[in-house]
Amino acid sequence: MDQLYLLATLAGTRVAVAAQEVEAVVRLAEISPVPGMPRHVAGLSALRSRVLTIIDVPALIRGTPTPQAQRGFAIIADISGHSYGLMVDAVHDICQVPEGDLPLRGQLNRAWTCYAKAIVEQDGQPHLLVSLASFIETGLMAQAA
Amino acid sequence: MVPLRASVKAEGMDELLQEFIAETQETLEALASEVVAWEADPSDRDRLDAIFRFFHTVKGSCGFLNLPRFERLSHAAEDVLSEIRAGNRTADPATVSAVLGIMDRIAELAEAVAIGAALPDENDDYLIGALAQRDEGAAEEAASAVEAVRQSGVQAVPRTIRLPLSLIDQLMNGVSDMVLARNELSRKLRERLSDPELESAFERLSTCVADMRDAISKTRMQRVDRLFTAIPRMVRDLGRELGKRIDLILEGGDVEMDREMVEMVVDPLTHIVRNSIDHGIETPEQRRAAGKPEAGTLRLQARQSGNQIVIEVSDDGRGIDTGRLVEKAVGAGRLSRDVADKMTEADKLDLIFQAGLSTAQAVTAISGRGVGMDVVRANVERIGGVIALHNQPGRGLRIVLRVPLTLTIIPGLIIRSGGLHFAIPRAAVVEILHDNNETLHVAQVGGAKIATIRSVRHSMIDLEDVLGMQKPDQAAPRAIMVVRSATGVPFALGVAAVDNHEELVIRPASPLVMATGVYAGMTLPDNGKPMLLLDAAGLANAASLPNIADDRASAQSDEHEVSAAKVEMVSALRFEELSGEKRLIKLSLVERVEDVDARLFGRSGGQAFVRLDGRLVPVANGVHAFATSHVSALRLRDGRQEACYPVAAVLDIVEMPAVPDMVAMHGSLSGVTVIDSEHLEVLNPFALFAALPDGPLTERTKGRCVLVDSQDGWTREILAPLLRQAGHDVVLGLPEEQAVDPADVVFCSDGDMSHAAEILGCRVVQLRASPRPAGPQDSSIYRYDQEALMAAISGARG
Repeated sequence: MDQLYLLATLAGTRVAVAAQEVEAVVRLAEISPVPGMPRHVAGLSALRSRVLTIIDVPALIRGTPTPQAQRGFAIIADISGHSYGLMVDAVHDICQVPEGDLPLRGQLNRAWTCYAKAIVEQDGQPHLLVSLASFIETGLMAQAA
Repeated sequence: MVPLRASVKAEGMDELLQEFIAETQETLEALASEVVAWEADPSDRDRLDAIFRFFHTVKGSCGFLNLPRFERLSHAAEDVLSEIRAGNRTADPATVSAVLGIMDRIAELAEAVAIGAALPDENDDYLIGALAQRDEGAAEEAASAVEAVRQSGVQAVPRTIRLPLSLIDQLMNGVSDMVLARNELSRKLRERLSDPELESAFERLSTCVADMRDAISKTRMQRVDRLFTAIPRMVRDLGRELGKRIDLILEGGDVEMDREMVEMVVDPLTHIVRNSIDHGIETPEQRRAAGKPEAGTLRLQARQSGNQIVIEVSDDGRGIDTGRLVEKAVGAGRLSRDVADKMTEADKLDLIFQAGLSTAQAVTAISGRGVGMDVVRANVERIGGVIALHNQPGRGLRIVLRVPLTLTIIPGLIIRSGGLHFAIPRAAVVEILHDNNETLHVAQVGGAKIATIRSVRHSMIDLEDVLGMQKPDQAAPRAIMVVRSATGVPFALGVAAVDNHEELVIRPASPLVMATGVYAGMTLPDNGKPMLLLDAAGLANAASLPNIADDRASAQSDEHEVSAAKVEMVSALRFEELSGEKRLIKLSLVERVEDVDARLFGRSGGQAFVRLDGRLVPVANGVHAFATSHVSALRLRDGRQEACYPVAAVLDIVEMPAVPDMVAMHGSLSGVTVIDSEHLEVLNPFALFAALPDGPLTERTKGRCVLVDSQDGWTREILAPLLRQAGHDVVLGLPEEQAVDPADVVFCSDGDMSHAAEILGCRVVQLRASPRPAGPQDSSIYRYDQEALMAAISGARG
């Protein structure tokens, strides 16, 4: 299976995202906070004329909101009809990985278990394959709890 | 529920298969009601043919699409229908149910294929077997539950194309952006110098944008038919299950509604219809006993009313027994007996919206669990709609839903709070006050804030507290808004300030944001910073505000009205001030009203006066110069003193309370009174007369202008009026009885005369007819040299 993956760094960890989930990668502009939201929702941001809900994904993993200074890039995705911007530390490459994804091995940090589905290897380095939608859904459930 | 159009994942899926599934699902939706209609009138050949064609088409497509289960099911149905067409079989209720069952199974399978899930593992044989059975006893049974499905409105088939929803949304977004950009351009243009060519070009652009916006809005419109499609089938099934006969009438299917609206109204509507059949309409025996026709009538009607869609569901069943409702509420401990006894009929009916109450004899699987109407109302309100009940116990119930025509663009207010901006629909705001307003009193107890505005108590919350934001002190007064949801109780919301009002393009916010419950959507204003739209009902919920209206205040105002006759009323004159305000003055102070020549007014020693009846009367409001030649004036007298009060117009005589509704002593006013919903200031006679000068006014004498040449035409026709207009006292000819006052100025043209006048001791101004002086000694003034003339008069005076 010749899949295209976006390789990035998220909360200090190497991750891979299936390219078809990714609409764009942008540098984060101004974020308007939404009061009353859980901390992993950074707020709203405008992209041309679209309004994105910005998810502080590192906050979901680490538990603490990412400080302003460290906010870098966001992956834009359309999930269930709504536009989101998912914060990442950095974005490295988009590449094809001929062997596709491999099963998870080793003891994953509890923080990652909801999101990591598999491993993708590139240049001998393992990347956690994550699904962007999982960040949204878990967020919702966490809110309802 | 109307099945949502599931997104079809392109993952390895044939486009043909996609097409087939989409078409099948769409046809199935409309077909269910066709089947039910056909059952009521089996002789309708056309309908039968249409239904047959559906199965035939499905069967055909299945062949090359490799869908064996679809094929089997549709084949079986096709056979049965073929038999019926040939006249070898009748369409009895059992058969129709079996056909409907097949359709349901096909729908299930189609849905599974659409979302790429595994096909449900149920046994199709059972369904197919049901087709084969002939219900022997059914033939003798009463006619089918649905007597008739009458549908009014033209059933034309429009030319259409199929488009992905995302494309339509993209178009809509694009046009909304265009509207916002055009608005910004308009603002910028206004700031700059106007250029007619630019403006007319801009007008053209504006028109085009407006047309496009209207056209695009229409793409979001769907016929209400879609709302109605599932109803006949549901009515039929329910009716059969409960043994009731229903006559269903659907009207106004051609009315159009915003697509999102349709989806949000489906559930509430379904619930209402279920209730009507389950609880409203009685069994045939009960109806017969009540003298009603055995079949109950259920009518669904949609119509457009202004910028709202009105959907009415009415039945001729037993209506709502408000007495039982009250008993249930009291029994459940939600209502005390006292309050219950004082409730109006409308209040009692409103109990049906309370969560958890139900007057149903038994909780059936269908309804009666008592979770219904509160959710229905909440859903209707969420889209900005209202729901109203019209109850006729024993005769029926009419439920009216009103929903806005379109969700997307609404007039809103921009408010500032906690350093952020928010929007709130203008429709939700009842009034806005500042916290330093005299009619507002805020009290705190146990953390709860109560705002009392003109003796009505409201729950009060600060937006910062509800949303968990900072609330720094501010120099300017805070803004307090009285807001309410469509049917909720008003409450007071404190914010830092209300900044602006704008037409806002509202888009739905992501589920994460909506889950908080306090936001109704989001909008992107011109400054590019996304802004959230607040939901009044959501805020009240989040703050756990109790849902009670201040009945005491309204009860008191009722009492107040009753005792209003006892409040002392006096006659008052309503008039309009020269400065435009409408005011009241106690009529007994006004001696008379008269038109006074404006020239009789003057000023002396800082006090305005008017010359009336040979004496000088002080002018109470200090006005002495007027634009018109005559002015209406009130002659006031307090018994001893008199005053004149010039006004713009005298309006009428009204009754006003002896004490103003709102007492606010300020200057010459004693307060404000409301007459015919108009706020009128009341003059304070005490202050008025107190401000008048003590002694009689004396006029500081001004010298007169004595025009010697009284016979001269020029002097009479031109000089005299000029001097009079300038405010001088003009005397034509030397006065005979009186001596010439040294302050007077004498005008003459004759040099000899001027010498004589000098002897008299007063100033003389000599006028000549020619522009140029006769010689260097000539000190006369050219008669048309107005400047010199006036200078001579004033200069001549000491």
